[in-house]
Amino acid sequence: MNSLFRIHGALERISLWAVWLGGLSLLLSAVMIVIEVVGRKIGGQEFLGVTLPAFRVPGSDEYSGYVFAGATVWAYAYCLVHRSHIRIDAFYNMFPQRIRAVFDVIGLALLGIYIIYLTERAWVVLLSTLEKGSKAMTPQQTPLWLPQTVWVGGLTFFTIVTIFLFLFALLCLLTGRTAQVQQLAGTMSVQEEVESETKGVKEMDQ
Amino acid sequence: MKAAFALFKAGSPWSIIITLLVLVLAAVPVAAVLGLLSLGLDNIFMRGRLVLAMGEFTWEQQRNFLLIAIPLYIMMGEIILRSGIGQRMYAAVALWLTWLPGGLMHANIVSCGIFAATSGSSVATAATIGTVAVPEIERRGYNERLFLGSIAAGGTLGILIPPSIILILYGFITDTSVPELFLAGFLPGMLLSVLFLLAILIACIVRPAWGGDKQDATWEARFRSLPDLIPPLVLIMGVMGSIYGGIATPTEAAAVGVIFSLVLAAYFRALSFELLRTAFEGTMRITAMIIFIIMAAVFLNFILGFMGVSQALIKFIEDLGWTPLQTMIALVVFYLILGMFMETLSMLLTTVPVVFPLVVSLELWGMTPSETGVWFGILITILIETALITPPIGVNLYVVQGIRQRPGPFGDVAWGAMPFVLMMIFLVFLLIFFPQIALWLPQQMF
Repeated sequence: MNSLFRIHGALERISLWAVWLGGLSLLLSAVMIVIEVVGRKIGGQEFLGVTLPAFRVPGSDEYSGYVFAGATVWAYAYCLVHRSHIRIDAFYNMFPQRIRAVFDVIGLALLGIYIIYLTERAWVVLLSTLEKGSKAMTPQQTPLWLPQTVWVGGLTFFTIVTIFLFLFALLCLLTGRTAQVQQLAGTMSVQEEVESETKGVKEMDQ
Repeated sequence: MKAAFALFKAGSPWSIIITLLVLVLAAVPVAAVLGLLSLGLDNIFMRGRLVLAMGEFTWEQQRNFLLIAIPLYIMMGEIILRSGIGQRMYAAVALWLTWLPGGLMHANIVSCGIFAATSGSSVATAATIGTVAVPEIERRGYNERLFLGSIAAGGTLGILIPPSIILILYGFITDTSVPELFLAGFLPGMLLSVLFLLAILIACIVRPAWGGDKQDATWEARFRSLPDLIPPLVLIMGVMGSIYGGIATPTEAAAVGVIFSLVLAAYFRALSFELLRTAFEGTMRITAMIIFIIMAAVFLNFILGFMGVSQALIKFIEDLGWTPLQTMIALVVFYLILGMFMETLSMLLTTVPVVFPLVVSLELWGMTPSETGVWFGILITILIETALITPPIGVNLYVVQGIRQRPGPFGDVAWGAMPFVLMMIFLVFLLIFFPQIALWLPQQMF
């Protein structure tokens, strides 16, 4: 049991690093997009007798698309570990904890089936890119295997985390640790939801 | 697996609907329900060929330049949320509005409205402004129910006032112009805010005791508060201005907003490594939550499109012999009921793809398809706002209940929000009879 907790902690830390990196890359994309917008707007215009240079960032929309796809799928696992994937709990909440734990495990199993299928199809995309050496149909001609590897990697990591959480939660359920299942895979209470949405917001002095 | 599909085919469509209901009742993650539904429907009705494209399809959709606006607006909001602007703004707005009967409750509506428009999260808005506001109930003797209701309702305003993530999602799934949607949301958003203020005003004129102790502010104090009030307005105007000035697309404007929010955070001396780290965590968590479900939803759409589900629905409504107006009203009632129980994002993503072609086919008041697209986007957004504050399941009600200092029944918040729900329903009908409220502004610009 202890080693399972250790694996859970390790997966959580990896997902946290993925989220920091993803957030940072998105911020850098934003900077890139803003440079492109400013360059497009002021480039070639006269200002105080000087013609401003028309600096551009070729492919900023294409690259930010790759960043977006990669950063998002790598955050799926973080979202799962933090029990943030959307579930409709109107009826779920009416049941006692034991039944809810069963629902949690079933939910993880079904999520697993869907995500294994999706990840398999994503691998097919990557393998065919590698086989054909496909490039993006843009002036940049980006080799597609590069962004697709990040993307498939994120989905694969998500699959691993889902399968692990399912097995962990199932074990807890079978050994009667329903409170543990709730902590691993239950829905968030309102208190927890408010905390996670306002993390790092300082209380103002009145 | 094959046998299960065959079993479903024999008993469909009821067996499919019942299975879906069971999965939803058991709180299976919505994205998984949608994904498995795609797999199931394709295997039962389309010989399982379409789902083979799931990888390629997702890869294409997940790089969509319009969707990139979503994490960027979320990041902008996460930074603003942690920069202390919300709390400062509340104090500033209070100075300008507390002379009205109803005092701080007006400040709740207005500052929640502005703050939610920039922060993009009605939960974070209700929690942030609420934490500052709630202690005032006892201190100044307000009617607790109405006060709590005003926070819950104010937090919903942000999804109608641009930039709005809900409108981007709607634009994405229905192929409606997002700049037009943003413009169209502006007047109804203002109108709804005014209706909310009116509700408080009327309540507190009829029952003066509800309005708490009178508070006065000097003009000097008011003008001194302006530096706290102007930045969020500049942010909204800057983002909107760059879209309508023809400088930027919604996504580019969002990138400008992110940079601008960093500048604001630095100006308020809140910018730190810690702020960025928590802002990144918040941004990625919410983005993953939204994108995971939207990817499953658009794929399901693709399958439903092949199956002709929307056409079947249109045929069904035609056979009922309802007039366009009757159909619209039936739809509104359907959404009001659904909104009482369903989480709002899933409500939007699962129903709109099927309902949208029907609404376009109605040609209500002779609106063109593109006009209908914009108008219905605003209508559905107001219905989603309503869903946030209608019991038994209304996220904003729960949040406000969660930050109360004095414990009390959940019913207090739900009753307190009722006047605002009525105002929302009033606006929905106003929009149905006068679509120009939404369409006028975009028509001036485009």
